[in-house]
Amino acid sequence: MTPKQRNTLIVSGMGFALVLPFIVSNPSHQNYLILVLMFAQIGVAWNILGGYVGQVSLGHVAFFGIGAYTSTVLLVSVGLSPWIGMLIGGVVAAFFGLLIGWICFRFKGHYFTMATIAVAEILQVLFTNWEGVGGAVGLYVPLDQQGWWAMVFNSKLPYYYIALGLFAVTLLANWAIEKSFLGYYFRAIKDDPEAARSLGVSLTDYKLVAIAISSFFAALGGSFYAQKELFIDPGSVLVTSLSIKMSLVTILGGIGSLFGPLVGSALLTGIEEATRQILGGSGMGIDLIIYASIIIAVAIYYPTGIIGWVKNIMRRGKKTEGGA
Amino acid sequence: MNWDILLQTLLSGILIGMVYALVAVGLSIIYGVMEIVNFAHGEFLMFGMYSSFWLFTLFALDPMLTLPLSALFLFALGALVYRFTIKRIASAPMVSQIFATFGLMILFRGVAQFLWKPDFRTVENSLVSGNVVVGGLYFGIPHLVAAVGAVLATGAVWWFINRTRLGAALEATAQDKEAAQLMGIPSHWMFALAWGLGAACAGVAGVLLSTFFPIFPEVGATFSLIAFVVVALGGFGNVTGALWAGIIVGVVEVLGGFLIGPEYKLAIVLTLFLLVIIVRPQGLMGRAE
Amino acid sequence: MCIQKLRSIFVAALLFAPGFFAGAQAQEEIRIGAIYPLTGAAASTGLEMRHTLELAADMINNGAKGINMPLAAGGGLPNLKNAKIRLIFADHQGNPQVGATEAERLILQEKVVALIGCYFSNVTATASVVAERNGIPFLNPESSSAKLTQRKLKWFFRTTPHDDLFVHNFYEFLKDVETKKGFKSQRIAILNENTEWGVETSRIQVRLAKELGYNIVESINYPAKSTQLTSEVQRLKASNADLLMQSSYLGDAILAMKTFKEQGFAPKAILANDAGFSDTEFRRTLGKDANFVFSREVWAKDLTTQNPLIKQVNDLYAAKHNTDFNGNSARSFTGLFVLADAINRAGSTAPEAIRKALSETNIPGNQLIMPWSGVKFDAAGQNTLGRGIIVQIQDGEFVTVWPFDIATKDLIWPMPAWDKR
Repeated sequence: MTPKQRNTLIVSGMGFALVLPFIVSNPSHQNYLILVLMFAQIGVAWNILGGYVGQVSLGHVAFFGIGAYTSTVLLVSVGLSPWIGMLIGGVVAAFFGLLIGWICFRFKGHYFTMATIAVAEILQVLFTNWEGVGGAVGLYVPLDQQGWWAMVFNSKLPYYYIALGLFAVTLLANWAIEKSFLGYYFRAIKDDPEAARSLGVSLTDYKLVAIAISSFFAALGGSFYAQKELFIDPGSVLVTSLSIKMSLVTILGGIGSLFGPLVGSALLTGIEEATRQILGGSGMGIDLIIYASIIIAVAIYYPTGIIGWVKNIMRRGKKTEGGA
Repeated sequence: MNWDILLQTLLSGILIGMVYALVAVGLSIIYGVMEIVNFAHGEFLMFGMYSSFWLFTLFALDPMLTLPLSALFLFALGALVYRFTIKRIASAPMVSQIFATFGLMILFRGVAQFLWKPDFRTVENSLVSGNVVVGGLYFGIPHLVAAVGAVLATGAVWWFINRTRLGAALEATAQDKEAAQLMGIPSHWMFALAWGLGAACAGVAGVLLSTFFPIFPEVGATFSLIAFVVVALGGFGNVTGALWAGIIVGVVEVLGGFLIGPEYKLAIVLTLFLLVIIVRPQGLMGRAE
Repeated sequence: MCIQKLRSIFVAALLFAPGFFAGAQAQEEIRIGAIYPLTGAAASTGLEMRHTLELAADMINNGAKGINMPLAAGGGLPNLKNAKIRLIFADHQGNPQVGATEAERLILQEKVVALIGCYFSNVTATASVVAERNGIPFLNPESSSAKLTQRKLKWFFRTTPHDDLFVHNFYEFLKDVETKKGFKSQRIAILNENTEWGVETSRIQVRLAKELGYNIVESINYPAKSTQLTSEVQRLKASNADLLMQSSYLGDAILAMKTFKEQGFAPKAILANDAGFSDTEFRRTLGKDANFVFSREVWAKDLTTQNPLIKQVNDLYAAKHNTDFNGNSARSFTGLFVLADAINRAGSTAPEAIRKALSETNIPGNQLIMPWSGVKFDAAGQNTLGRGIIVQIQDGEFVTVWPFDIATKDLIWPMPAWDKR
């Protein structure tokens, strides 16, 4: 693909995303689009650390939860707009990410992954027992104030555009990183840490940069979730299954690629929603069986994710073209 | 502070810790040989519990008698899981492996719900039931049997790995798969063996638990996290380490819960885990890299 | 312009198609969305509630012989040209976000006229907000968090009493036991699970104990789905409590009782908070070890002496599913009847008409299978006529022991020590 072709593709993609909610006017379908964008956004956030730097965190829900809790607590207690709360939440999460990184980056491979799970689980226990933030009972976002300042809407449309905006910003940040020296260092750390170290790249420093950026954006997703569902509790914004989902969308789409999380999220959310809607009502667990079979099949047959698979096909297509 | 209660708590922690150890040993073997963290490990335990439950309910066979049968069944399941899924991702990146075993976890839960409904089941009035009181200390007989059984099973695994030729072959594959292959040890068979053995350990633990723990499709989740901690604490791939780590985790969980507050017991265990791996990144008994 | 034209055609098609079908369907069926946990840890309870809702719908649609309940004559809702009830089930998996998503789908795609659910308080919280935003009535038969009806929602109605009332019942019961039977509880311990329900119950229990002069010696919120409850039980033993109040779901309830027995913890009474303890499986599993446990309930089979409906409906259910009703299923069952009654009185499936009819609901107690004085909602949507009862397991069966005026058996107090049974 030439740069020109790619730019055309990106611009038309953006245009399509902007008019999409007018084509899909059923709010329930719009809700699906919002979910896709939301999980894509936190997937991109996860990808910055997990995909580019190769540090597989399964505790990212901690940052998501911190974002959700910060903005909601500020909204409920002092009436601060979630827009500001969201940014504060992002900063708090980034600092927390630095702390976690400082502790966990000394661990390698699976130990790192385990440690991140542990941190998130500890956080869940602490929030469950922390009366000041609602404890196990959770927090409700008040419905009485609506509009852009309060980030509470009756219609799906504003949520869609906020999700799209968040996704675009996160993606842009990811793209900027990929193009900058940071991306170069990140890849070096992932592919050959020893060589990177010998070239004078401080592994820990750059991993810390990555986790701070990654947690900042994950937290934005958390604040958005709180405003969308209007209710948070430790059981919904601090559960490990959500951490796993962030990584799943990325792996399914294509780890370490810019648009991987979007593709993965569209697919995974689609499969989840479809299996549950069609079969979930039966209570027989068939939805879970199908959902799981697809995950396993992808892991086995397309380990590089959908994007990798498509690239492969295109490469093969080119080869045959050249041969003919 | 009442010393009796403290002693009682300590002993209870040791008993449950021994069961944790057995669950973790299975996870540890799989990791030790293949460097794969099996997220579906708790589901092997769940299948162990169900096999015990059904043999008891349908044929009135006591869990203690059907234990070898359940172990065999789980061994076969583990080997099959390896053959049909894990084998294909043996050399895939870590993320794909996480993805695949996570899929297996959901699949097994779905299958259990599909086949056996989501109801809570229990094995009632098996041979092991009731309790004994020794000098003011209470012990549930099912707990005692489970603990002793778990230690015996762990010992058997240790013996197998360290004292038999097949075990030595397994260990050799764990150390260096290519070298072992060159020596004529087929890696794929060793991997299948590791998965069979790992699943059988979890299955046996499931059978031992089935005499006092309710059985339901999601029961594995409860034990998985603890097993991960035990494995990491004991050192990945280390049987003796898992035993000690299991006991430590059991004691810390029960005693910490008693002294600090039961609401924090999981957090206490996880904090201990973080502290230990900060000090000893290879785990308590792990080999330094 | 071309795009706009296309768009308007597209939109018109989208809007028109479901609207057309909805119009056509209105005569023959009333679509009601039911959101319950059909997979995940609470799936067994969810399925049970699904079965009772199906029974209720079947009774309304096809009639049930000899059962003298309004709308149970069969043939659908008379005021809507005998339209039949059609339930559309959705699975929330115990996840509040999924609950909200499913609520939205049921309202917008399945075109349901009302929602019923969701058992879990935190899922009810998010799903009911979706209903509120879309202006669709939401009837909640079984979530007990007091917070739910403090949200000033316009479209939310709850038939079950909430935690506040249930805990009040506990202390009224203790007071009655003390004054009329002479058993005084001086040291109370609390063992509640640590999700929203257990924690909120603890809060109310501690608060009311202070107000009413009871002495709480230990209050534990244990992590739900623990692998062991030894630390908790040791704490209870150390507290030397003579009464235990416990809130647990099924798995924990079974494990706790087994641990009590094993560790020899026997207070004078265990006063359980429904949920796991009222599940049929609890008694089946523990057998005689379940005896003497008191539980707050909303329903009991033996109340049939006061109300023949209870036995009739229960028999119908038992014949089909080989198990009795319990507090959960009886409430779901009642919820659907209340909803159907409102839709019938509304004489229309317009949301506002149903909402208005719901707010005017006034069903007398003798038309319910619950021991309530009836169903009547206050401005917050809370049923003000509900009440709880206290049952005790005697010889493996729940018998009503309080309020004393409707009790079928005398209570057994204290419960014997484990080795003296």
